[in-house]
Amino acid sequence: MSTELLKAVAASNEWWALGPEIILACAALGLLVLELVTPKAQHRFIPHAAGMALAVVLAGVALNFGKIWDGEELFGGLIRLSMPGQVARVFFLLSSLLVCFLATVCLPRARVPRVEFYHLLLVVTAALMLLAQSNHFVMFFVALETVTIGFYILVSYYRERASSLEAGLKYLVLGALSSAILLFGIVLLYGAVGRVEAGGVVHTGFEFGTVLTFLRENPGNFLATAGALLVIGGVAFKIGAFPFQIWVPDVYQGAPTPVTAFLAVSSKAAGFAVLLLLVHGAFAPLAGVLVPVLSLLAAATIIFGNLSALTQRNTKRLMGLSGVAHAGYLLIGVVASFTVPWAAGAVWFYLFTYLLASMAVFGVMAYVAGPDDSGEELDHYARLARERPFLGAVLAVGVGSLAGIPPLAGFMGKLLLFVAAFHAQLYGLLAVAVVGVVISIFYYFGWIKAAWFEIWTPPAAGTDSPARPLPAGPKWVGVAALALLTFATVLLGFFQAPLSGWLLPR
Amino acid sequence: MIPLLAAAPAYGLPSYLFVSALLFAIGFFGVLLRKNTLVIYMCLELMLLASTLALVAFSKFNGTLDGNVFVFFILTIAAAEVAVGLAIIVALFRKRHTIQVEELNQLKH
Repeated sequence: MSTELLKAVAASNEWWALGPEIILACAALGLLVLELVTPKAQHRFIPHAAGMALAVVLAGVALNFGKIWDGEELFGGLIRLSMPGQVARVFFLLSSLLVCFLATVCLPRARVPRVEFYHLLLVVTAALMLLAQSNHFVMFFVALETVTIGFYILVSYYRERASSLEAGLKYLVLGALSSAILLFGIVLLYGAVGRVEAGGVVHTGFEFGTVLTFLRENPGNFLATAGALLVIGGVAFKIGAFPFQIWVPDVYQGAPTPVTAFLAVSSKAAGFAVLLLLVHGAFAPLAGVLVPVLSLLAAATIIFGNLSALTQRNTKRLMGLSGVAHAGYLLIGVVASFTVPWAAGAVWFYLFTYLLASMAVFGVMAYVAGPDDSGEELDHYARLARERPFLGAVLAVGVGSLAGIPPLAGFMGKLLLFVAAFHAQLYGLLAVAVVGVVISIFYYFGWIKAAWFEIWTPPAAGTDSPARPLPAGPKWVGVAALALLTFATVLLGFFQAPLSGWLLPR
Repeated sequence: MIPLLAAAPAYGLPSYLFVSALLFAIGFFGVLLRKNTLVIYMCLELMLLASTLALVAFSKFNGTLDGNVFVFFILTIAAAEVAVGLAIIVALFRKRHTIQVEELNQLKH
């Protein structure tokens, strides 16, 4: 290798800028090697190694956060470093760290290989971080498919359970369908933009910047508009917006609990990161088409999510369908961000509060669930507060924050989104959202009631099922993680400055 | 040399796009309407191939090579998807002894 090449590589910070993703990918491979070379008795430390890798990368990203690369394009325009990209990195790393913790609770109960789970977790995390920073449709599609294919395997990870495999198959068919729709949209955009020569360099419709210029100069181009709408449709599948939400309840129920949490938090956040990236980047000139479409999606998503969650008794389906409603509130934020620039920050604030509350609730679900975690009903939470007061308290705070009860973080997240919508004069959507929140309080309180208040049930003669075993008590790591999540949720309800000062530009 | 093909007129971009859209529509409705998981799977691949055909046609008529390069990425991704998908289908068939969609309804309340 010539020294000139080495010098050129050293001079450019292109690879340094992608350090977190590269370290994660190497750590993922390292885990597999570790499994081969260490004796079987030491394998229980591999999850800790995965958690350590995530924590180290998270600390690295947080320490270098101030070094903002503003709009610098790397690798010939494949990657664009930006402030939202950095926020997305922190979000995905934090979420994966918590999923890693949930997996150490849940996986030992099932007879499955464990190391591969953490391997896939790290690979998917790296791909999610790349996805949020992509600036080129080829990069975008490859990162998205890496995430999606990783999720196919993770959802069907309990391979000895028909329910997990069935969820995996459903996610696979509908996920591949949405990917194909998204791909066709990309192809139409490529075809519409054609060959653009600027300054002796040929640009194509794969680059976000070229698409932006093309759409600005050719408003009303049918092929490009259709392509953009197909791409938005593919992204809407990720976030579980209304016509594409059909997979949510089944997949959430069948997937292992850590994967359900990963889907609910990271996959949804990835959808919103990409949506914000596209509607403010490449598709910005199409606001006249996108605002009505996204508004309609938001209203339908909120109404559908809340009404269908009302009748659910299965906790994972309940989390899934209420998550659909949360996606609706977030879509209002995306619509508002067309006219109110800080609404994008409000969307991220909401996602962070959603992460804290959801992970707390999924943590409690992981402890309450027996060996079969797909059949967890609200009735299983009876007497939880008396038998495990700590878990009961964490559940109350987490569910309360999801419902948006005033002193908790979830309330502030909703408030910020609704203020943004008010500034953007989206009064109709605001009314729908408020009605949705009122409906959601009903089913969220049903859950808290099941855990905290005694319900007298007539003793059924002879047919009573065997008593459920007491939920496992969390070990100190579990206590620390859940207490931290609960504390953060309460604290963010009172002091938003640490998060809002960072997410909302002044 | 097949004389018929050799004598065929050069087709324009709309012809390619028409075939591509037709393939995409067949695949899309196949996924929605067919009941056999393997046939659904073939329909998904058909949709990806429709995109590939349109991509190559656009690449030729636009005069840029990027589309041809993207095709290789799509093929790789489709192969990974098939590998994972068939593994799931086989594992599910071992458990349930069926691949008909209407019988895979354990997750309903």
